[in-house]
Amino acid sequence: MDFPNALQIFISGANLGAIYTALGLGFFVIYSVTRLVNLAQGEFVMLGGMLTVSFYKMGIPLVPSITLAVIISGLAGAGLYRFIIYPARGYSRLTQLLLTVGFVFAIQGVALLIWGWDFRSLPAFFNTPCIQLWGATIFGQTPWVIGATLVMVIGLFFFFGRTIQGKALRACANEPLGARTMGVNIDRMALYSFIMAAGLGAVVGAMITPLTMTSYSMGWSLTIKGVLAAFVGGINRAEGVILGGVALGMMEAAAAGMVPGGYHNVIAPGILIVVLLLRPHGILAIPGRVE
Amino acid sequence: MNAFREISSKISAVKLQNRVIALFALVMMTIPLGIGPYPISAMVDVGLYSIVTIGIILLMGFAGQISIGHAAFFGIGAYTSAILTTHYQFSPWLALFLGAALSGGIAAAIGRAMFRLHGLMLAGITLALNLVFYHLVCSMIGLTGGAMGLINIPPLILGGFNFSRSFLTYYMVWIIAIVILGFSLNLADSQVGRTLRSMNTHAGGSENAAQVLGINVNSYKVQILVLSAVYASIAGSIYAHHARVVEPGTFFIPFSVMVVIMALLGGLRSPWGAFLGAGLMIGVREFLWEVMPVFVTGVTGAYELIAYGVILILALLFLPRGLISLFGRAFTKRRATV
Repeated sequence: MDFPNALQIFISGANLGAIYTALGLGFFVIYSVTRLVNLAQGEFVMLGGMLTVSFYKMGIPLVPSITLAVIISGLAGAGLYRFIIYPARGYSRLTQLLLTVGFVFAIQGVALLIWGWDFRSLPAFFNTPCIQLWGATIFGQTPWVIGATLVMVIGLFFFFGRTIQGKALRACANEPLGARTMGVNIDRMALYSFIMAAGLGAVVGAMITPLTMTSYSMGWSLTIKGVLAAFVGGINRAEGVILGGVALGMMEAAAAGMVPGGYHNVIAPGILIVVLLLRPHGILAIPGRVE
Repeated sequence: MNAFREISSKISAVKLQNRVIALFALVMMTIPLGIGPYPISAMVDVGLYSIVTIGIILLMGFAGQISIGHAAFFGIGAYTSAILTTHYQFSPWLALFLGAALSGGIAAAIGRAMFRLHGLMLAGITLALNLVFYHLVCSMIGLTGGAMGLINIPPLILGGFNFSRSFLTYYMVWIIAIVILGFSLNLADSQVGRTLRSMNTHAGGSENAAQVLGINVNSYKVQILVLSAVYASIAGSIYAHHARVVEPGTFFIPFSVMVVIMALLGGLRSPWGAFLGAGLMIGVREFLWEVMPVFVTGVTGAYELIAYGVILILALLFLPRGLISLFGRAFTKRRATV
């Protein structure tokens, strides 16, 4: 394989890896606080993308559009926790998981009502043109996707590792009883985690819309991508989600460049199967902290 | 004397159960005489979903293992039937059995490795298996027709009856569903069912304790997985011959999640729950699609989706142990024998 081709594959792998990582982080945030896998995560991404497009088309500049989308998605996340998950806090995890599926149907219905069946798109952020680099082409949006993911990753590391609020959030999942005796309000923390995950999801939605377009029904496929990234690396560690996301993105891009037909789609779930059989909690997960 | 009383009460419980099954069969066989073709086709859906859901209930409620990948087994049945009957002119019935054998074989092959995982991670690997199946079906265009699917699948034929007419399909689906129900209820009451409950942590059992007693826990789990895969595959084959077309979107994650929802909403304690769960979800769907356009005009599908989601949420919130918990002894009496 010649150099420009390899570089092209590497760039699309980095792009795909950033998207996988960003999607997976939403699962990590909720899981690390509540031990719940939120199957509505993809719907927040859809909501973020749709809202950003709508506000942008109204003539509002890009950054305020995204901010508004993040706020509205955050409210949707708060609603999901407060009115659906919180009343079921004593129920089995499976029931809670399926409750998020109920929310998926409802939010898809709302989106269909507001936006209809059409696919919507955005230009690359700030109309960044395509970049030619040593014979490879970089789409204008790609640097923004990778940059936004990096900012999210650094922000999350700082928040969970360095701030007292972040540590309180993590404590809820690791030692619920201990956290409570230290005066941490677990339900409040769970609420924050849903708002955070929904907000992160909305940012992801805005940043991938110029690349993939968005429609009311795209949430499922994004949820599945995020779950794959989070499970491969280990859902209870941010490092795990990053490793999983980047590995899946790179492998899928390489396969897409080399394997004909649609077979490259088998790579990501195939990797998950192999990883889980060898390391039952994901590559980097801390065993005993995944249920 | 005490033991005698215990045995006789058990026999009468079994008799009661058989009577309930017979009554249920009688009711289901008379229903088509009174209603039109449209509800009949919805009832065919209920029957097909129930067959898959019975397998899920055995797997989740009795063996205590989760799967978000049974759409793949449903799909293996459907595609085996579709491919063998359209490409190679096999008899539909032979194709149905071959599909079930293939599904069971695959389940047996992957089961042992798969059940090293528990809970969430088991859900994850079954989800991944479903994705692999879906993308393979989409990619192997020569065999499966890819995203376009396969068309012109012949209907099932039995003794000159052509099962493409929905009344005959109805009878075939429901007779098979009731046979599977009877088999599953007996299995749940047998030594196998008691063993499964003894190792199911969700039903108050303990895997470690069962293992100490010399029970090969993994082998039991794999056997139930194989059984549920065979059920799903049979339903898939019937579906292919009923719909006459198959396309990959049917066999994706939403189907796998839906049968888990049906199992939970119906109740995991008894195979009867499958009919309640499938009946509720399909019933609500048909009702909304039929009734909502009368009240609200606008974007088609949106209000239905919202109402569907809200009903699902309310049902899960207020009936966490399933519809079966509303019924009496006849359905849940096997609790007492644990």
